[in-house]
Amino acid sequence: MLDTIIVQPFTNLLLIITMLVKNFGVAIILFTIFIKLLTHPLTARQLKSTQAMQDLQNDPSFKKMQIKYKDNKEKLAEEQMRIYREKGISPFGSCLPLLIQFPIIIGLYQAIIRVMASTPLELAKLERFIYPFLDVNKILPIQNRFLWMDLGQPERLMVFGYGIPVLAILVALTTLIQSRVMQPPTQANDQAGSMNNSMMMMMPLMMGYMAYQFSAGLALYFLVSNLTTVVQYVAMGKADWSRIFPWMKPKEPASAQKAIIEAELDDEDDEEEEVPVKVSKPSARSAVKRQRPKMKR
Amino acid sequence: MNKKFMRILILLVISAAVLTGCAAGVRAESTPGLTVTDDSVYVAYLSKVYQIDPATGMLLSSYPDNSSASLVMYAPPTVSEGGVYFGDLANQFHKVKDGSLNQIQWTFKDAKGWYQARAAMDGNLVIVPNSDRNVYALNSDTGELVWKYGGDFAFIAEPLIIGDKVVVSAQDSHIAVLNYSNGEEIYRIETKGAVVSPPLYDPSSGNLFVGSFGKEMTSFNLATGKINWVYGEGKGLETIWATPILVGNQLIFNDKSGKIVSLDPVTAQEQWTIDAGGTTIAGLAAINDEGFVVAREDGNIQAYNLDRIPTWTKTVPGNIYNAPVVHGDQIFITVINTDGILYTYGISGQDGWVFTPPK
Repeated sequence: MLDTIIVQPFTNLLLIITMLVKNFGVAIILFTIFIKLLTHPLTARQLKSTQAMQDLQNDPSFKKMQIKYKDNKEKLAEEQMRIYREKGISPFGSCLPLLIQFPIIIGLYQAIIRVMASTPLELAKLERFIYPFLDVNKILPIQNRFLWMDLGQPERLMVFGYGIPVLAILVALTTLIQSRVMQPPTQANDQAGSMNNSMMMMMPLMMGYMAYQFSAGLALYFLVSNLTTVVQYVAMGKADWSRIFPWMKPKEPASAQKAIIEAELDDEDDEEEEVPVKVSKPSARSAVKRQRPKMKR
Repeated sequence: MNKKFMRILILLVISAAVLTGCAAGVRAESTPGLTVTDDSVYVAYLSKVYQIDPATGMLLSSYPDNSSASLVMYAPPTVSEGGVYFGDLANQFHKVKDGSLNQIQWTFKDAKGWYQARAAMDGNLVIVPNSDRNVYALNSDTGELVWKYGGDFAFIAEPLIIGDKVVVSAQDSHIAVLNYSNGEEIYRIETKGAVVSPPLYDPSSGNLFVGSFGKEMTSFNLATGKINWVYGEGKGLETIWATPILVGNQLIFNDKSGKIVSLDPVTAQEQWTIDAGGTTIAGLAAINDEGFVVAREDGNIQAYNLDRIPTWTKTVPGNIYNAPVVHGDQIFITVINTDGILYTYGISGQDGWVFTPPK
């Protein structure tokens, strides 16, 4: 099912691009960018929903409601749903685009793997996937050579007799950049921040390891995918480069976030015990928070 | 660590596992490599090379002692003068002692790609193709490199050594004929498509026959390099994956669609065609100059006499991608996607033993 609807068309599209540009490496790059552009509306929608949910989480009235009904889960859920309805937010708004994108990502990945057929058996399976209107004879075999790489083999650049996994290093690096650029502003909730930090450490290592182990063609896909995602975030104005370059000015917290700081502080004043506000590290928000009592004085 | 973090961690691990699985396990999917001699049957598959008793199907020895997920072997071993030669997907080519596969005599480690095809051996040279776009000629006693021949695509077909020439099938639509002593290209025969199997050599005529993805069968003379004929134009053939056979003065070959064609090897005059009834990636095998056997991808095995009359049929519970091997009065067929990787039959279709690798 997935093969017929997604993997086969993607495989043929990748083969057509390869035929046109006569280079599999360039074809992987173009194909990945094309699919990323195709799914951009979904990515944008997902980001918008996530942002709306985030803003809502930071909304003073929402926060107050959560505190009010913290001992009554049923009522809390009911109230949450009411606010979602009022604000026109779907709690699944950020999940749905992701779910739709998932088979596309799998298809993209599978198509690249199929086209990188290295053994006679893999070639035979690839041939079966090619649409009849395409001339197999003009397509197969695929030239796997790209720059210094053999795209069907794990990539190593030989420098003074040592094989340097350049792509794996670049994949790890771009995954780190992507994670940091995409990281949402630090929450008052310390746990979320620490989870994000752990993820940011693990993901680059995992992706780097996979790029080290897998064929260069896949590593190239990981790299282009990471870079395209970063570009998408930059284009949407969501990237916060201060997370990578500390000397850059951090992005201004959203107005709602400023509001939540105020709400938190109000709560602190009213019920110090009920809503403890923890700040794990100095940030724009914590800076505002630190300044507020001084102003009161 | 809280529950949410654990969930994310598990999700990451599962994602990694799924992605690893998507990349075909140990990076490549292929079929068992089979070599049959009078004394032993050798099968290279996944993490082991097995030496099997041809009479009983009992395992005699295997290499290595301890399997490793990172060591994968598909290339059929070459057996010669007490040595067994085979390569793996960890870019290494080994010579081990026949009868005791764990006694390594030498290992060649200079190639940068996978060994997927059987090495050819004659004199003191063992000539082996590699997916790093080179064919390596090694000294069979020491494993030292004597020469190498470079191309533009991975070499995945067994070379042929005929006298002072080496014939190499290339995926970029040609056959290269090399000098045995130094690896220099003497001439090349262009084809219309990739060549993924070795040609067939007919010593009586000095001619070679080779099929290609260009949906054609080509005959050329080894000594002169002159093309005798090309068959295929307007014949409705599909891609040809396997080496043809010569039986009773008929050149018989099959294309992927299951079409089996008999030609006069001298004139390329079509004698007959039949339909195997399914996809045939694997080639044909001649049975004592009296008939031939064809193995379909779906596991159907059909024997015919030279009058094209089916003589017997068998079915294995898996898929067949390699040509059957007929040795003496036995037929050996490698199978994937089932427990048993090697099925045997008598030449009259009697059931033989099945080899299933030990768990």
